[in-house]
Amino acid sequence: MEEKLILAAKQGDKKALTQLVKSYSNTVYNFAFKICRDKEKAENTMQETFLSMVKSLNQFDGKSKLSTWLYRIVSNHCLMEARKSKRFSYVDVESEESLFDDKYIADWNRLPVKELENKELKKILDGAISKLAPDYRIVFTLRDVEQLSTEETAKITSLSVPAVKSRLHRARAFLRKEITKAFQK
Amino acid sequence: MKQEKVGCRDVMSHICESLGEEIDSPKCIAIKEHLNNCDACKNYFKSVELTIDYYRKYNIKLSAPAENKLLSILNLNEE
Repeated sequence: MEEKLILAAKQGDKKALTQLVKSYSNTVYNFAFKICRDKEKAENTMQETFLSMVKSLNQFDGKSKLSTWLYRIVSNHCLMEARKSKRFSYVDVESEESLFDDKYIADWNRLPVKELENKELKKILDGAISKLAPDYRIVFTLRDVEQLSTEETAKITSLSVPAVKSRLHRARAFLRKEITKAFQK
Repeated sequence: MKQEKVGCRDVMSHICESLGEEIDSPKCIAIKEHLNNCDACKNYFKSVELTIDYYRKYNIKLSAPAENKLLSILNLNEE
């Protein structure tokens, strides 16, 4: 079905292209938000992503999934924006020594863990992931949140499989630690 | 994009993958045995599991005006 839509869109069928855009708009917007943690930036990234898609759809050879291609465009755009913006400094998780400190290995059952509907928890989640460098954030989001395979994640990020595994491991440990710290307050 | 709850097997698989081990490898089986008997590690992995689950469920929805704006930018106004 999607292949037919892509083929029709390549041949100039606007209805097919509209259908393709609409079927991925929410996914792309959400993924962009999960990386940027800002609704306005996510909307801009989504627009840029689909502009790129429309511009280069003819070059799409169908060897990978369209979603993989879109994830790559969003990731590259977010990385480019992050490099341009030097306002933020991220935690260097590679040299972060305390990721596995005993004091952060708390039993979450004994902490005031909140429901996701709670605004305070969303603030904690946004705060924690915002400290993580975008290249780690992208790996965590693709692998754990979007549930892509390690190989797909490696392909999208142009990293090796061991590099994806290593970044994922540290990103998870860092986020868990940051959330534990916030819960302990 | 499928949305599902993270289970123990998923977490074990992630741990073992991070270590470059298959889920049925001796090292992974040993880790599983250790996890069954170690409360600190159980707590650690439960919190990692919850961390992933929180981020997985934290979604936002694209508004209709934002989608219409996108279609307009792409010159794909719906009839």
